[in-house]
Formats: sequence, structure tokens, C-alpha cells
Amino acid sequence: MSHQRPADSRIVKVEGLARVEGEGTLRVEVSDGVVERVELEIFEPPRFFEAFLQGRRHTEVTDIVARICGICPVAYQMSASLAIEDACKVAVTDQITALRRLLYCGEWIQSHALHIHFLHAPDFFGCADAVELAGLDLAAVQRGLDIKKTGNHLMEAVGGRAIHPVNVRVGGFHRAPSPEELNVLVEPLRRARDEALTSLEWVAGFEFPDIEIDYRFVSLRHPDYYAIDSGRIATSDGLDLDAKGIAELVVEEHVSRSTALHARLAGKDVYLTGPLSRYALNSAQLSPLAREAAAAAGLGAVCNNPFRSIIVRAVELVYACEEALRLIEAYEPPNPSYVEVPGTAGVGYGATEAPRGMLFHRYELDEEGLVRTARIVPPTSQNQLSIEDDLRRVAQANLSLSDEDLTWLCEQTVRNYDPCISCAAHFLDVSVERR
Amino acid sequence: MSPRVLVAGLGNEYRSDDGAGPAVAAYVRERANIDAKVIGEPLDLIGAWDDVDLAVVVDATRSGESPGTVQLVDLGGDESADSYAGPVSTHGMDLARVLRLARAMGHAPRRVVVVGIEGENFSDGVRLSPAVEEAVGEAGELVLQVIGEMA
Repeated sequence: MSHQRPADSRIVKVEGLARVEGEGTLRVEVSDGVVERVELEIFEPPRFFEAFLQGRRHTEVTDIVARICGICPVAYQMSASLAIEDACKVAVTDQITALRRLLYCGEWIQSHALHIHFLHAPDFFGCADAVELAGLDLAAVQRGLDIKKTGNHLMEAVGGRAIHPVNVRVGGFHRAPSPEELNVLVEPLRRARDEALTSLEWVAGFEFPDIEIDYRFVSLRHPDYYAIDSGRIATSDGLDLDAKGIAELVVEEHVSRSTALHARLAGKDVYLTGPLSRYALNSAQLSPLAREAAAAAGLGAVCNNPFRSIIVRAVELVYACEEALRLIEAYEPPNPSYVEVPGTAGVGYGATEAPRGMLFHRYELDEEGLVRTARIVPPTSQNQLSIEDDLRRVAQANLSLSDEDLTWLCEQTVRNYDPCISCAAHFLDVSVERR
Repeated sequence: MSPRVLVAGLGNEYRSDDGAGPAVAAYVRERANIDAKVIGEPLDLIGAWDDVDLAVVVDATRSGESPGTVQLVDLGGDESADSYAGPVSTHGMDLARVLRLARAMGHAPRRVVVVGIEGENFSDGVRLSPAVEEAVGEAGELVLQVIGEMA
């Protein structure tokens, strides 16, 4: 740790945040020992997916939205499927829902394994990246790779490919995998679950900055299981909404520094979506093993320290492996592998839990099933205000740090969110300025 | 014993010219009994290229050359891979970092050669630009030549 400096006036600036998806800049302005401005600037070119979708057939939407993100394509496909099926008033079978959840587990395993081991853990060792971390803890990096690979295999088996699955269609799947195709994943998933438990113990031993934030948690909640692929939306202040309800409550506004829209809950302002929210609202629904492992890792019923989100992700990683095993054991191939979804005029809503948080879609279709309007609200744009809020608190509490150390801590604060800036732009660099 | 060789076509076939790598892998596979795979993201090279004698990574480039220009960068067995470095993101790691990681983990290929094809259009779509399409054969032959020189 470098020498301490007195509280003063400065600007911490990071241009080109590392280990986040997309491009953005972070600027923290400190004046007379008070953090006055925090701005997460997002400057990747805006993505006009919502406009691309206008005039497209309702059956094309799942393939188009998969392209929004290379790391959470399933989330986009699943939220879109639910929304379009809602608009067309079609319900899918339980077998299709179970297969969707299995595919989603693959995405959670892949995404969480990558973020925990390659993007977030290096922060706790003062390493620039996973390459440096491998020099310190080769076994941990190898574990991350092994777990991620199992997630890839699950995505391939159900989705047809590890990235941008091609087997998903509105109403279900083009083809249902055979039980044999899934059974070969049982042993790798058992190993991945055990490795995830080891990684959970590993991250629980990290040193965490001491900070507690009273978040307004928002996440899906399902009566029967830890919500991933479906459910209603719950908030820690007692709201219970369907996907339409959340879409109506969330207000998005454009601010000049960012090409992503900033989301707020009307009349309530900032809220948090993602692992901390899911855990706070649904931890009782984790599997017994995941619950025990969470307790052994020192987590209570709620985790308010954003830096400890890596522990919650590791708990969710254990859970996703176990849940995939459970779904494979109970697997009955849906036959047919999809239900017909005739295009009709209507408005539909769909919300699911991407690895980094809730993702909701709204589509308005015309009588031929063509998309009239589309609204896609990704988790990172929902969390942008919360990220800025965390930064303000973290910077204020750590003004005694040198510029270098404070900048590092601010970057880490952003990475706590596993932000997917490309998705949000429909975008990171950091700076702390002291004056 | 003949050298173990992997050809890795890096890229996304659904992003127009980013599909150049996969197209060259297919070209090589059709003409020679060589392990030629499509790899979606560089991190997935780990495991696929462990301990091979030669890995030829074919990827679309954006270097400012004219579209379809084929370039060869020999990353050799030394530590000079950083000149190829790009940004790190949650969507994975660039090739140079993946090579450094493979070396740190002790399973790097003995030699890595990158064959690049300059792309011009990386938007959604499954068609290569005419100049890139035309360069697939040239790049494929270059890959076969690099492998032939090794044998």
C-alpha cells in the first residue's frame, strides 16, 4: 500500500476499465475532502437492437437478441421467449420449461466461473489479470477453466453451441437433446460442483473492504425454486410484481455522459439487481448443500457488502451445478420439442435472471406477429445508479488512500457488479480527481 | 513421431467477416487430415491447444490494411506475444493474454503462428465480404504451408 495522503481535492479517473465487458470511463471528483461527483461514463456506440427488431417476425426475435451479448445470450433468448409467448397467449410445457432452466444453468456456470476466477479474483491479490494470478495460484485458475468448460459443454448439449445458442426458438427448442446426450454431462457436472465448493472456500478467505450498503434488492422470485428462468418480481421493501408490473415501474432516462439508459424505480429511485439481490430474497430456496456451503463461507441470510458478491456468485455456481444435475436426472425430452406460437396482435412481457441481474423485455406485436415496438432493459443499465452510489460511498470512506490505491479500489467497486457494458449500451475507463 | 498440430479458426460465423477464421479452418479440414477446429473465443484455446507442437490460429484482423489482406505473425515460443494484445473484457481474453496464461499454466503450444485476414464488415450476418471470401483460399494455403514446413 502506498503512502497515505490527507483528505483533499482531486479527480480519480480511469480511462479504459479493465476486466469489464465493453468500454467506459469512471470519474470521481473530490473537493475539500468530499466526493462531489461520480460518473460512470459509457461511450461504446449505442446498440440499436430495439430498433432492429421493429418489423421483424416474432419468431426471429430469439435469434436476433442472442447477438446482444456473447456472455449472456441465453438470458436474452429466455426473456424474449417469455415475452413473445405472453403476447401470443401461449404457454409452454413443463418439460420445455425444465430444459430452458437447464440451458440457463449452463450460462450461469460459464459466466460465474469466468467472473469469479478470471475477472474478479485478481483484484483481491493485487494482480492485473488472471495470468498474474496463475503465477500465485495456478490451481485456482485451472479450476475456473475446468468449471467454465463444463458450462460450455452444457450450453453445447442443449443450445447447440457454447456461444449464441442456435437451438432455441419461440415456444421451446428446435430439437430436444436425448437423455444420453445429457447423461454424459453428469460426471463433469459433479466435478464442477466439487470444484465450485473448493472455489467458494477459496473466495471466502479473501480480505474484503469493510462496507455495508442498505440496498433496495430487486429480483425474480419463484414459489418452487431459486429463481433463474421465471417467476414474479420481488423487492426487499415488499413489492410483488409480474413482468408487466416491473416494466411499468422502471423508468429509464437518458443522461448525456452515457449511451445506456439509467433505470430507476418510479418514486423510489435507485435499486440493485444481481447476485446480492437474488441471495437476499431467495437464499432459503437454495439447495441444502449450497445453503450449508454459504453458511460455512460466512454468509448470513443477506449480504450487504458488494465486495463479497464474489462469495455469493460462488454459492450460485455450486447451486447451478447441482440444479443442472437435478434437471438431468429428472429429464424427460419434451415431445414435441416446441409448442406452436402463432403470431397475434398483443403486448407481452418477460423477465429472467441473467448471471449479472434481472433482464426484462416487452414486445408489442401486430396482427401478423410482426414486432411493432421492443423494449429491452438489461441488468447493467438497471445497476448503473447503484454502481455510482457504491463508488461515492467507497471513495468517501477511503480518501486517505493514494491516488493509485483509490483508483484501484474504485475499479474494483465497478467490477463487483460484473457489469456487461455492451449489453447496457444498448458500456468503462476510471478517474478520481481531487481539487 | 509426427508433430502434433492444431488449426484454430477463431471467430463468430454470425458476425460477417469475423467468420473468416472458421472459414479457413473448414478449408484446411477439407484438404488435409489436420485437426482444424472452430473456436468461439480465445480462452477456449486452453484445453484445445495444450502441449501441441504447432498451433496455427486463424483470425479476422482490423489493422488498417485493405480488406482481404492476409498477414502472418509468428508468436514463436518466446514471450513476444504482447504486441498482439487487445483489450480484456468479461467476454474473455485476447489471444496474447491467453497465450501468456497457457505458458503460466505450463501447457502452451511449443509454437504459435497467427494467420490474419483483414475484415471490413463485422456486423450481424453470415456472409463474408467479397474480398475476405476471396482471401480464404490464400490464407488456407498459407496455413498448410506453415504446417508443411514443420513436418
